[in-house]
Amino acid sequence: MTQEAQDAVGDYKYGFHDPESATIRFDKGLSEQVVRDISELKGEPEWMTDIRVKAYHHFMEREMPTWGNCDSLAGIDFDNVTYFLRSSDKTEKDWDDVPDDIKRTFDRLGIPEAEQKWLGGVTAQYESEAVYHSIREDLEEQGVLFLDMDSGLKEHPELVKKYFGTVIPHSDNKFSALNTAVWSGGSFIYVPKGVHVEMPVQAYFRINAKNMGQFERTLIIADEGSSIHYVEGCTAPTYSTDSLHSAVVELIAMEGAKIRYSTVQNWSANVYNLVTKRGVAHKNATVEWVDGNIGSKLTMKYPAVLLKGEGAHAEVISVAYAGEGQHQDAGAKVHHLAPNTTSSILSKSISKNGGRSSYRGMLQVTPKAAGCRSKVVCDALMLDEDSRSDTYPTMEIGNPTADLEHEASVSKVSGDQLFYLMSRGHTEEEAMGMIVNGFFEPFTRELPMEYAVELNRLLELEMEGSIG
Amino acid sequence: MTSYLDANVPSRSEHLWRYTPWSRVHPGAVDTVPQVDTATIKTEDFGLATSAIKPLPTSDIARIFLNEILQETTTIDCDDKDGNIHIHAGGHAVATHLHVTCNTASNIVIYLHGEPDWFGLALTGDVNANAQLSVGVINELSTDTVMVRVDDWSVHRDARFELATLSMGGHRNKSDIRSTLKGSNASLKQFIAVHGHGTRHDDHHIEIHHQQPHTNSHLLLNAACDDRSHSIGTGALTIDDVAQHTDAGQIFRNLLLSPSSRAEAIPELEVLANEVAAAHGAASAPINKEHLHYLMSRGLSKEEATSMIVEGFLVDSFSGLDSEHVRDEMQTRLTVHLECQLIR
Repeated sequence: MTQEAQDAVGDYKYGFHDPESATIRFDKGLSEQVVRDISELKGEPEWMTDIRVKAYHHFMEREMPTWGNCDSLAGIDFDNVTYFLRSSDKTEKDWDDVPDDIKRTFDRLGIPEAEQKWLGGVTAQYESEAVYHSIREDLEEQGVLFLDMDSGLKEHPELVKKYFGTVIPHSDNKFSALNTAVWSGGSFIYVPKGVHVEMPVQAYFRINAKNMGQFERTLIIADEGSSIHYVEGCTAPTYSTDSLHSAVVELIAMEGAKIRYSTVQNWSANVYNLVTKRGVAHKNATVEWVDGNIGSKLTMKYPAVLLKGEGAHAEVISVAYAGEGQHQDAGAKVHHLAPNTTSSILSKSISKNGGRSSYRGMLQVTPKAAGCRSKVVCDALMLDEDSRSDTYPTMEIGNPTADLEHEASVSKVSGDQLFYLMSRGHTEEEAMGMIVNGFFEPFTRELPMEYAVELNRLLELEMEGSIG
Repeated sequence: MTSYLDANVPSRSEHLWRYTPWSRVHPGAVDTVPQVDTATIKTEDFGLATSAIKPLPTSDIARIFLNEILQETTTIDCDDKDGNIHIHAGGHAVATHLHVTCNTASNIVIYLHGEPDWFGLALTGDVNANAQLSVGVINELSTDTVMVRVDDWSVHRDARFELATLSMGGHRNKSDIRSTLKGSNASLKQFIAVHGHGTRHDDHHIEIHHQQPHTNSHLLLNAACDDRSHSIGTGALTIDDVAQHTDAGQIFRNLLLSPSSRAEAIPELEVLANEVAAAHGAASAPINKEHLHYLMSRGLSKEEATSMIVEGFLVDSFSGLDSEHVRDEMQTRLTVHLECQLIR
């Protein structure tokens, strides 16, 4: 990277971009024709085109949200977004066949290296579509499907048709409507009955072009008694104009199944990250969201779980770091719809250099959900006087046997802790870094080792120069 | 001043009106401003004076509405006095506005009685520098009454203010209680006990705004909901960027006693200063079986044991009150009410 580029990017180490070399690029702006063209280009069945068109009309009619950071949301110019950009003609199975410029990007992000060491499968998505995809042979032999969503629709239309939009219908919110209209890429996973995918599978999402909109769609189905851990990473270059990332992720955990979905979102500070994520847990199933928000300009993301079957369990661990100009509006939603369901939500946030972090949560117990238990803990650290932290929890309890707790606290780094570490020879900056890493530790320990190390490094970078 | 008929009826997406829409607590059709009577206020302990209406802030629809229907403001001379005030309401629609200015120290308990169809209550006050004021409000209105209550309190430098509410009357209540800590070292303690029975719908919205440094606030809301009652507690705690060294805590506790009872708790927190300790907690649970077992093993029936636990839970709401007069009145009234209600 040139020095000039380095200066523009600042601390954000993934802020580089490669020259755009699109094979197909749609004009900016959205219309019914754009939606139909995307569908036609992908050779989709008619039912999918119909869903897309219906969603497009819903998107156009639906008002922008009237809650959250409305000022920041008002800055999205939907007419200045490229809704589809194809950068490679096909999805490669061999890393060597991936176009050089794209390969270089992912090499710099460390993806192929990680795959060799510790992953069960990898999808790499560049702009609108997946450019590389692989899965370990033993998993394939056991019947595990791990495809990019476009291939999933082509190869297993019956499964996609059965489950697509069942957890998050297009009419759920304005951005789920937008995603349903123009979705492209994402992952499609089906784990057959009783199969345990021991190693995590990973998808990596990269936006490279300016004013790009990435709308990946992920659908994960874990059949009875199976389990899977899916890891997702996201980065984008730093531009002066904004990009839009609006994904929809649907998880379905059948009886006794377990799905863990880990994300470390590290978009550059010009990306609007407006994502709808929701899972359904059937009888005795578990859905876990491990959600890290470090980057983006505005994130609005509230991973949700519908506990639909008796004995189902939901777990959400969420951390957010809001630096200069960032608003991390994150949280979690758990709906207890069946008896004896349990959930636990842990949210941690740090605000620094005028950043704003918000926890927005919903805990609902319906009258049918007897004997359910839930615990919500939100902790926020404020590192300077320009920053801001908000907590907006909602608890709706419709069954008297529910046992629920919510606690939240906002504070600064304790002077005692700083003093203790400094008296043992650390500089104030090091001490602060250690405290922040320790604060996020309940999150990092849930991540695969490589991600945890990377996250700690990222935080240390963000913390540099935070003293004085 | 904003006219009610020109104001927009708030939608349910607004935090304040989410669970109790304005149309359900208006005395008639929302596009009307009905004639209302003034409630009778009696006290042997304080001096009262009436004057032209002191306008309420026009920050929301209920206050704008009350500004139009209220006919006068009653000011209480309370300095260095302790005692009780009885507000009696009757007829179709009744409203009253009480204003308290405290310069020294005072302890006041306000009783709300009567059987109006609709009751509008505005309570406002200034707790001036160095003053100590403790106010208790006991709602013993008829089970058919719809009540709208709005409070606006200002707590100034080095002042101490306690505000306790015992809510057990009325059919549908919407209380919007706002306090602003306007001077450094100002302190606010707020306690609310809600007993839900029958089909009572009781919605408390509590806003606390820290505008100055070294201020502290404490809020405790305990709600016990029986039968088909519904309790809502929403909090909005704001700490301004200049309000460093603030200490703020909010606790919402719900005890659900019957399968058809419901409770909502939304304690919101907006913190713009960093040298603060701000925390909130919310919990909801059924009666602890171990507590029940303990009491029953000592010979109490299940009903007796349950009512004892409920009583302990609600009476405890007021144990943090510094004012003995207010604490005793609140706890005594609560005990009497629960004895009538619970052991049937």
